[in-house]
Amino acid sequence: MTPVASGPEKKDALQEFKNSLKAAPRHVLETAFRTGPPTTDRTRSTFVFGNVFLHLHAVRTHLWSLRWSATMGLGIMSVSAFLIALVTGVMLMFYYKPFPDAAYLSMKDIHFVVPTGRLIRNLHRWSANVMVIAVILHMARTFYTAAYRRPREYNWLIGIGLLVVTLGLSFTGYLLPWDQLAYWAITIGANIAQSPREVTDALNLTEHFDPGGLQRLLLLGSDQVGEEALIRFYLLHVMILPLAIAALMAVHFWRIRKDGGLVRPADADEQLARQRRDETYPVFTEAPVKTYHLAAIVRGRTANVGRGPENTVPSMPHLFYAELGVLMVTLLVCLALSLLSDAPLKELANPNVPENPAKAPWYFLGLQEMVSFSAFIGGIGVPVIVLLGLALIPYLDRETEGTGKWFGGPGGWPLVRLSLAFGLAAPILLEAFAIRFGWLREWFPHIPQLIVTAINPATILTAVYALYSLWSIRRYQSVRAGALALFTCFLCGFVVLTVIGTYFRGPNWEFYWSPADWPKH
Amino acid sequence: MKKNKCLLLLSSAAVLLLLVWAAVEENFLKEWRRIQAEGRGEEGPVAVQLRQVVNPHLGKADRCVSCHVSMGPGEQGVAGAKILVPHRAVVHDPAEYGCTVCHGGQGQATEKADAHGDVPFWPEPMLPKEMSEAGCGTCHVPLDVPGQAQLQAAARAFERLDCYACHRVDGKGGTVRPDQGGMEGPDLSRAGLAGFDRDWYAKHLGKANSAATGPWKTFRPVSESDLAQVALFLRTRMAAPRLVAAKSTFLSAGCLGCHKVSGVGGDDGPELTLAGFKDPGQVSFEQVPGPRRMKNWMAEHFRAPASVVVGSQMPPAPLAENEIEQLTLYTLSLRRKELRDIYLPKDRIRAVKFGEREFASDGATLYGAFCAGCHGQDGQGRRLPGLVSFPSLANPDFLAIAPDSLLTRTVEQGRPGRRMPGWLKADGLRPEEIQAVVAHVRSLGGGTLPPSDPRPARWVAGDAALGRRIFESACAGCHGPQGKGGEGPALNNQVLQESATDSFLVETISRGRRGTAMAGFEEPSPVRPALSRADIESVVAYLRSLPGGKS
Repeated sequence: MTPVASGPEKKDALQEFKNSLKAAPRHVLETAFRTGPPTTDRTRSTFVFGNVFLHLHAVRTHLWSLRWSATMGLGIMSVSAFLIALVTGVMLMFYYKPFPDAAYLSMKDIHFVVPTGRLIRNLHRWSANVMVIAVILHMARTFYTAAYRRPREYNWLIGIGLLVVTLGLSFTGYLLPWDQLAYWAITIGANIAQSPREVTDALNLTEHFDPGGLQRLLLLGSDQVGEEALIRFYLLHVMILPLAIAALMAVHFWRIRKDGGLVRPADADEQLARQRRDETYPVFTEAPVKTYHLAAIVRGRTANVGRGPENTVPSMPHLFYAELGVLMVTLLVCLALSLLSDAPLKELANPNVPENPAKAPWYFLGLQEMVSFSAFIGGIGVPVIVLLGLALIPYLDRETEGTGKWFGGPGGWPLVRLSLAFGLAAPILLEAFAIRFGWLREWFPHIPQLIVTAINPATILTAVYALYSLWSIRRYQSVRAGALALFTCFLCGFVVLTVIGTYFRGPNWEFYWSPADWPKH
Repeated sequence: MKKNKCLLLLSSAAVLLLLVWAAVEENFLKEWRRIQAEGRGEEGPVAVQLRQVVNPHLGKADRCVSCHVSMGPGEQGVAGAKILVPHRAVVHDPAEYGCTVCHGGQGQATEKADAHGDVPFWPEPMLPKEMSEAGCGTCHVPLDVPGQAQLQAAARAFERLDCYACHRVDGKGGTVRPDQGGMEGPDLSRAGLAGFDRDWYAKHLGKANSAATGPWKTFRPVSESDLAQVALFLRTRMAAPRLVAAKSTFLSAGCLGCHKVSGVGGDDGPELTLAGFKDPGQVSFEQVPGPRRMKNWMAEHFRAPASVVVGSQMPPAPLAENEIEQLTLYTLSLRRKELRDIYLPKDRIRAVKFGEREFASDGATLYGAFCAGCHGQDGQGRRLPGLVSFPSLANPDFLAIAPDSLLTRTVEQGRPGRRMPGWLKADGLRPEEIQAVVAHVRSLGGGTLPPSDPRPARWVAGDAALGRRIFESACAGCHGPQGKGGEGPALNNQVLQESATDSFLVETISRGRRGTAMAGFEEPSPVRPALSRADIESVVAYLRSLPGGKS
């Protein structure tokens, strides 16, 4: 064992060491990417499936999916906003102390003393809002392009779950600053959770069976918003819900690939053929060696099965440019908003001084508006109906016409246009009537609460929307037409009620044209 | 796919640009950085860093000293920018107490608008500079404060006796005299807190007698009443002359008749103990001229309560502008905070734990604080729109026949069902205080006592049926059917019936009360004949038969 004198080509070990040291950065890079720089289709493919973070993507992406009009990047925008919130949220956790009063003081410190603290908090707040909006728009895109249809039904359900968790994340974060805004918004939210009591009270059941009170107690851990509620909301916000959303997101992405990539119309290839190509890379630079393997053979009619990868381009770099682009645009939007507008922080929470009006976070103001007529209907009834309705859409609409096309299917854009007009007009008229003339309780002060629960603007609006949707099904002889009508109406109702709740409701939930008219003192 | 590439490039460049801007703003554009960069200490430029005064016992972390550097601990020497001036010498060292405990504002903030509290979401903006003594009210309770007239008389006496020649009080006096040199006596600005030698007068006289020349020679004997005035003046020197003066104005305006301050006062208006914390974001400034400051809101509210606060029942204060400013200062000073024991000042302990009064116990002060709001500063009565007129107590016809027992009973028990509350209660006056008030009311009429009445309280034995007929024609117009009250006082009131003697009622009906609608029925008038003594006694007999009058 004397390696030093083992052969004539005796090398200087020191020289060897120096060479290795020099080459180390190159070797690190090479070993990181295993198969060399992504310069050929083959290495581009291996670049994708050899990477733990990228391998949820297919190695090749259909050109249709890269068109801006196909998705508008809304899904990626939702994930981007989540990532921004995740990173800034972890940063905030270094300074945030989840205990009443200390929480508020730590917010003040983050705002005024922690270097870049204000920017990071603003980013966190704006990215959360951008995420809520992007998720809702993403759902609308998925619906209007009929992307929920076979084989993507289950992914639509996962998407509903993601919407709920997103709202939950945003809502639980609302309490953490422990200022008046947070305190009373969460008090309102907790009272909405208690709304089944309206029915159990009316039936004289509350003493024996009180699901509303239980819900509220589970949420707050006490009979009012206090330190128990704060630690619960904190745990939900930084631990349970992020884990839940990460798990759901993983399934959501995985299913996109397993369900055959993003939706596209049946004639996508013909349509693309008619257009001028502006690809940077030719479709094939060499014979495909590893274009498919077993994992890529999936159920369903996908473009790639048995037909060859026409009209596809390597995901690296085409798809990644698009995704990174959307990420950076999202970051840009959040950053610009953060520099323009500070996240609000009112005075320290004070259980003795109720805010009037106390308003829930903006995305729940539509619910609060309905709650003002009936707590049960606004807080439980309508949300459950809406979520059930959304979840059922892919299982009721078994048609195929118009998949992958904006407003595709019977009725199409004219029906959506009509539904927009109807969907906006119905809640505005109903609200105008209720605001001008009052409702049952004002006319007959002594009627049983159950009647008001059953008949109020929220239930009437739901019924009117449902009837309109049934009419659409009959007129176009298509379930998809009914879904188009109902979903459009639902979006319109959400917008109208949210706007009324946000801008036109003042102290005691009275109607005011502008906050300048609110009575003071 | 150039489109996506461009998108990525452009958005990344824009993000980078914004991040650079944010970094520049954070590191170079903050006002406190600019100020500290200009600052020069004794050893050259000061370190540019966030500074703060932390006092965990007071719950304060005040970063005000990031801009007001030379007010921070050990940095009095820092100068260079306009803002860099040391705090004037005060008892409470800002290096220990911090800033916001006295001045208000948002201590955690590091930017001017936020720190001074002029932002929508901060409920406690800084106190205006001229009213900074209102900040004392955060911890302190000036005790034993006399009414305005007494305080002013005491101040005048102190000045008239030329005490300022040798003593400095509240920054005034003790000046160099042209012939005899500098200040001789000690500064008395805190005499009310630190106490003063009760034998000062004897010692002064002694020195004056033994001195041959110099300022002592000018000391002359002082009268008893002036000695009392000087003592009163010294007792009220608490290093916060404006606050004490403001409080004495408050005590003379009769506010306690309707409002409570720390648990003492009337029930008609809202409690004022924490009125200084009123949040400018929660009140309407629509009818308030000038900038949106609580100071302006309060002042306008005193001038015209109902126009500033919709539905307010409070009558406008008949006060001069400087008095309104004093009321504003005092109201702003009602901001008592919870304090840890080590920071509880003695006056607050005395007030809270030992129940010492915040107002002086002389009749004039008590009358001013509790009665003047309705019965007028001089007992002249008051007539307010929409309210039954408040009786004049100084009316000589009234005082000439009303025995002290009637006055005492009335102050103690009030008139149930009417505006006059009974003051003998836990949150009202104590028996000896009521005696002082009664004595003061008596003095308002010149101190005349009614002739002593040998007859018992109830001696009338008239014809009640006749009295009833007379009452219905002659009295019910003002006093209401069955004496239930109308424009004139209710006569079926139980306390009135119990405390008024028959002599008092008979005399009131016969003589009337000058200056009021109550005529004397002994004398005929153009519209009715005179009532005989027997008629009057019949009326009294009827009054005694009213429900409430039976005892």
